[in-house]
Amino acid sequence: MTTLHADAGRPPRLQRAIRTPDGEEFLRGLAGTRVRQNGCAAAAYAALYANVDVITAYPIRPYTAIMMNLAQFVADGILDAEYIHADGEHSQFSAAFGAASCGARAYTGSSGVGVTYGYELYSIISGARVPVQMAIADRTLDPPGDFGSEHTDALCTRDMGWLMGWAATPQEVFDKSLLAFAIGEDPRVLLPQMVVQDGYFVSHIAGEVDMPAAEQVDEFLPPYQLPFPLDPRRPVSHGPQIHPEQGPPLQLERARAMEDAIPVIREKTDEFARTFGRKYPHFVESYLLEDAELAIVISGGHAVTCRAAINRLRAQGIKIGMARLLWVRPFPSDDLREALQGVQAVGVVETNLGLGGASYGGILSADVTTALYHLPGSRPLVTSFMAGLGGETVPMAEFDWMAGKLGQAVERGHVEKAAHWVGFED
Amino acid sequence: MAFEVIRHQLPLFEEEGRSAATDDSRGRDLHYLPDLPEEDPYAAGHRTCAGCGPAIQYRWVLKAAGQDTVVAGPTGCMYVANSTYLCTPYTVPWAHTPIASGGSFTSGMAAGYEAMIRKGRYPGPYPNIVVMAGDGSAADIGIGSISGALYRNHDALFVCYDNECYANTGIQTSPTTPYAGMTTFTPFGKAIPEGKKLPPKNLAKMMAEGHPHCYVATTTVGYPVDLMNKTRKGLNHVGAAFLHCYTPCQKGWVYQTSMTVELGRRVVECGLFPVWEYDPQERTYHYFHPPVQRPVTDYLAMQGRFGHMLAEHVATTQVGANRHWEAIGMDVPKTLREGEDPARHQRLHDEEYSMPLNRGVGA
Repeated sequence: MTTLHADAGRPPRLQRAIRTPDGEEFLRGLAGTRVRQNGCAAAAYAALYANVDVITAYPIRPYTAIMMNLAQFVADGILDAEYIHADGEHSQFSAAFGAASCGARAYTGSSGVGVTYGYELYSIISGARVPVQMAIADRTLDPPGDFGSEHTDALCTRDMGWLMGWAATPQEVFDKSLLAFAIGEDPRVLLPQMVVQDGYFVSHIAGEVDMPAAEQVDEFLPPYQLPFPLDPRRPVSHGPQIHPEQGPPLQLERARAMEDAIPVIREKTDEFARTFGRKYPHFVESYLLEDAELAIVISGGHAVTCRAAINRLRAQGIKIGMARLLWVRPFPSDDLREALQGVQAVGVVETNLGLGGASYGGILSADVTTALYHLPGSRPLVTSFMAGLGGETVPMAEFDWMAGKLGQAVERGHVEKAAHWVGFED
Repeated sequence: MAFEVIRHQLPLFEEEGRSAATDDSRGRDLHYLPDLPEEDPYAAGHRTCAGCGPAIQYRWVLKAAGQDTVVAGPTGCMYVANSTYLCTPYTVPWAHTPIASGGSFTSGMAAGYEAMIRKGRYPGPYPNIVVMAGDGSAADIGIGSISGALYRNHDALFVCYDNECYANTGIQTSPTTPYAGMTTFTPFGKAIPEGKKLPPKNLAKMMAEGHPHCYVATTTVGYPVDLMNKTRKGLNHVGAAFLHCYTPCQKGWVYQTSMTVELGRRVVECGLFPVWEYDPQERTYHYFHPPVQRPVTDYLAMQGRFGHMLAEHVATTQVGANRHWEAIGMDVPKTLREGEDPARHQRLHDEEYSMPLNRGVGA
């Protein structure tokens, strides 16, 4: 005969999830060191520091190495987590969703067509307000079969209610993973997060990453506490059917959650700087924009090349700067407007494919243009550059070419076209 | 150090002489139930149809599981009919999952509780974790996710409530729809007189053969004590368990609403749904031998979905039933063997007590 739960009303045994003795020792050894690792390792180390409870994996290049690292942590007894090798990405994300719905901190990830195979889950997880974290090392979608980096995979999920940010270095991958957990799990937000890094350019190229003390992470990232878990002590129903008239208020609530995340992102980014000593802009990295006439808007690892190209162009006397989007969702309209105030022409680097969209090029320029449309006074001209598709690099010479097109647009007083295919035009 | 994960062991109900699928020499008329738990984690207040088989199954499964249970329900008729925003029939935590995620979401729940208990974030004991997926979810779109979950051996009970069609969307064929079962995707007509031409998938055997470390069983709503005991055995089994339960759908099958439980017995007595239990320790099947063996017409004629069957279709169904009898180690009586001959049959709607033809289009 079963009765009501014997532990009804009892708090968990511990306020904080325990680590294994080997894990404690491993992290003690790491604290304060600077290690060389690629973006995949950095993401895995962040999940280790976050002491995730459930990891759900399915192999696809290039993000796979994140899960390989985590599998080794579990095998070595450094991380006590359930490691689920799912039968596909749909199952992989569903399992993470199920674990997080019960109150476990869940970590998952994917790349390319893996991201799109599990598409059904994105709206469902954000609608359930369950803050799962997903690592994406981005990759082209098929066809053609291509391992290279392209932002299209992650960007086609951009409107599904997940916080989404791009990291440009392994250090940023590490930091953003912890930051995203803290933001997404904040009771004022409760949204899943995609921490995206460029496939290969970031995921497979080593950089230096500072390893914090476990106590610092524990202080910054309190234990995961879903306010309404599937817990027999306090029964709740998740995800019931609704009537049409109940749809609008629920959708409005989800839209507001995205807006409400904006101040929390600012707050947590500042708190992160206080805890770990690394200060990031809240949303937009402004590089030499103060006096700029021309600006490149970009996200992800190509920004590193872009900075170098801007330095060279500046040396030639061209007043150009760069605005890098650290978050794409929620889209930082205010911060971008502020960063681009006074700029005469803006070029959006589209490392993605938005077939048949407003610009007949990429995805981001529509967001950027909408944000800038509401600039008081004279608006800058906006065009976009299709570059870095299929995993191609965006070399300095291409940025020079883009600067030339932006300069011509300012001279003419209008842009030549909404989207330029870099390398296919004179 | 990690905390120990303590697991429930639920006592079984007395089966002797009660409505259980046991080889009872006294026949099939002993319906009375033993003392059951009073609690109904699947409470009144849902919107299922009159005579709903899955609702009966839901009630027995959750009564057997008790309050310390977490339930998942993939999309299906039992999602739509049970959960209406701001109203719920569940007094235990319940979550909807995508239709293909019955196995995977439940894997996550099981993994979550394992980790949270070990790491001191949940006081335990490990709750009963149950998912109840329709046949469309378990045998079709979500079969991969359930197979994955059984293969990984999560400590949970995966139930398929099998009403042999996609009932929620208006009665479309699923892989468990029987041969000649009429659905809105397998209508009968001049070119295709039998309606559905394919024999059904043997879901439970796939699960047992493919995941031999799991407890796997089949049962029907005709044997409540058997259903509840198999639920408890599945939950007590440390690791994954799969329960395939036959649950008639009045709306999809077109029969008298009071006949749901009777169908749950007749389908077994006609040899169309063998009831068995697979023991993962012994790696053997234990088949229930019903005390009565009937011709398939005793089952087919009760349902409008079979009303279009011609003599040869009835004979084909009898062939299938006879092969089942042989497979479970029972003799095929002479009359049933003769039923393999179409000449022994007539059009089903000419049978004395058959239901009218169902030309309905569903929801």
